[in-house]
Amino acid sequence: MSNRPGYGGWLQGKTVRKGGASSSHSNTRSSTPHVQSTSSTIFGGGIKDPSGRVTEYSSMEDQCPVCKSDRYLNPKLRLLVSSCYHKMCESCIDRLFTLGPAPCPICSKVLRKLAFQPQTFEDLEVEKEVAIRRRLAKEFNKRREDFDDLKEYNDYLQEVEDIAFNLINNIDVPQTEAKIANYKAANAALIALNIQREEAYALALREQEDLDRREREARAAQLVQEAEQERLEREREQNELITKLETSQKDAKKLVAKARASQQKRLSARTTEKSSVLGGMGFGMDYAKLLKARTNKAKTSIPDEPHVPLQDDWYGYEDLYVLRPSYDDIFSEAVRKDREGIMRAGGYMVEEAWNRALRSAVAGLELEPLVGLPLEPSSEPTIDTAGDVVMASV
Amino acid sequence: MDAVERENADRQKRWAKEQKVGEGTYAVVYRGREVATGRRIAIKKIKVGQFKDGLDMSAIREVKYLRELKHQNVIELLDVFSSKTNLNLVLEFLDSDLEMIIKDRSLVFLPADIKSWMAMTFRGLEFCHRNHILHRDLKPNNLLIASDGQLKLADFGLARDFADPGHKMTCQVITRWYRPPELLLNSRYYGSNVDIWSVGCIFAELMLRTPYLAGDSDINQLDTIFRALGTPTEQEWPGHTKLPNWHQPSTTYPKTPLRDLFTAASADTLSLLGKCLVYEPRKRISALEALNHPYFFAIPYPTHPSKLPRCAAQLASRAAEEAEGGDIDKMSTGPGVKAAEPNNRKRKLTSPEEFRVRSIARKLDFTKQANSP
Repeated sequence: MSNRPGYGGWLQGKTVRKGGASSSHSNTRSSTPHVQSTSSTIFGGGIKDPSGRVTEYSSMEDQCPVCKSDRYLNPKLRLLVSSCYHKMCESCIDRLFTLGPAPCPICSKVLRKLAFQPQTFEDLEVEKEVAIRRRLAKEFNKRREDFDDLKEYNDYLQEVEDIAFNLINNIDVPQTEAKIANYKAANAALIALNIQREEAYALALREQEDLDRREREARAAQLVQEAEQERLEREREQNELITKLETSQKDAKKLVAKARASQQKRLSARTTEKSSVLGGMGFGMDYAKLLKARTNKAKTSIPDEPHVPLQDDWYGYEDLYVLRPSYDDIFSEAVRKDREGIMRAGGYMVEEAWNRALRSAVAGLELEPLVGLPLEPSSEPTIDTAGDVVMASV
Repeated sequence: MDAVERENADRQKRWAKEQKVGEGTYAVVYRGREVATGRRIAIKKIKVGQFKDGLDMSAIREVKYLRELKHQNVIELLDVFSSKTNLNLVLEFLDSDLEMIIKDRSLVFLPADIKSWMAMTFRGLEFCHRNHILHRDLKPNNLLIASDGQLKLADFGLARDFADPGHKMTCQVITRWYRPPELLLNSRYYGSNVDIWSVGCIFAELMLRTPYLAGDSDINQLDTIFRALGTPTEQEWPGHTKLPNWHQPSTTYPKTPLRDLFTAASADTLSLLGKCLVYEPRKRISALEALNHPYFFAIPYPTHPSKLPRCAAQLASRAAEEAEGGDIDKMSTGPGVKAAEPNNRKRKLTSPEEFRVRSIARKLDFTKQANSP
């Protein structure tokens, strides 16, 4: 499974547990319960994502409203949604609808077994709205070009929206359905034409993607080739330099410097070439712009310096002692023997303790001894240079 | 008034407290200034009264260790003084942390930026480790960013010095997502390598812009780690099955190369990340070794701290601060200020009566505001 957070699974059409028992939504990555069907019927339909798969919603709190069975009692519980948008579990569906159409136990609308679909969204209102809008979008697919002016187009959109609203909220359903049927009959030709257009557009999109992919591959191949060429060139230069050093009378240092300079020049030429290629593609516009802004800023201000591991000389007097691989140390005997092996597994290192002891022992060795200072004790606590109170000075 | 009290009063006078900026479980943080120079500081007031057993452990730890540590990449403890029953830590003022920067979606990180932050983190950590101190709570939230871009380790409330051989330490340290597997398995003997794991998690988080190993619970955390990095084998991590909390997991996850998740990272980057997230603690890279890792020397060079991305919020607050900075009277007594001058303190002490009157006055003020428009 991928380690990416939540969103990956949904896009890939896997079964994703949304919500569920955990409280932190952004970080739920526990294993998803696999939905196993206990029914012999295969329930089709549901909200399909672009790849044609249905992502099924399930959570730890699922409970069948009909038989009250929940995921705790029945880990294989699978809830399906009826065409009247009521949930029930597979076994209830089998029990109630196997002998033919029967009323829904919740709203008593007559249902068939095949009217049940898997659930995609947590909220059934959303489920319903998405289904209705998908259905409408198939038929009401006119575009801006199909209208003479903007007002007409807007009126059309308004009407579609009204129809959607009515269907979603169960207002005047028969009239609305009649309206849809009328529209369908009146615009059959245009609808078919627009479907064709959509398909053509999708095809063009796919071709474009294909083209991009091939281009990327070509670019990768070119990069490999370039690297190879670079390697060859470097080798050649190296050889040249060696022969020159053998034969020429000139100063060796100068020759090496010259060779290095030419190499540097070649490298920088290559990188500028590459960056100009990179600038035009790949990242989104915003990203490119941001990057450009940053590089521009970078040019005007302080240059980046090469990495220096430590910016102080702490390890300058490391040579005052050498840590031996082992010491005869009764205090750490238990650790070194480590009968259960738990200290090793836990990562405790005796070396760290030894190193600490040794460093503490040698740390003050280089300090000058205090000589020539007056030894009489002062009567009052004084404050030293660091601002610490000296309670007693001996 | 004896010498100690006098000294304490003197110290207190050096710092002026301004408004409250945050509140934690055991401390309140105020903004303030150094009276003499006007330099911005933060005052962390430890609540003592609420704890029956005296001063909170973390406050003691914080003072004990920060007093010793002076480094560019470690927050500086400027002073400590007491006011009434409270303990006040004067710290340098740092206005943002790495977590804010990671979460700010308007910022773009270059690989060089991440390198720079990592180098500063490792430098700070190396300094703690060389002084034999474990930080034990590294997370982006505790890596503060100074106005010049320098990153500083902060919050030494869980820090301690290296344990003597055979001494047990608590394993209930480090925020869960950054806690190494040996602590999740309740190992009581561990070393500086626990901090390295946390840094590895932060490193990954900087690249992913989302927490890398985010478990829902302590038990789930181990599962999350194994899922990401593969279940460890006895060969890979000798003895881990003998640790107190070990239970044979029901599923063994295969190793997936880091490359699969960090698609854009260079080989050097993944090499260092991999070495920070090694299961066997003793094989984990040390801070000093990490600083000498080829990753830091490779092109691009680490971004200069002054050019690192910073939060819009931070920039705005700084701008506002500078705009009003001119006419702020350092000695003025704003509503949040107390303990700045002796007479000020006295007024606080007089009676609860006055406090009540003041709060009523404020309430009236609010209603007036609500009615006026």
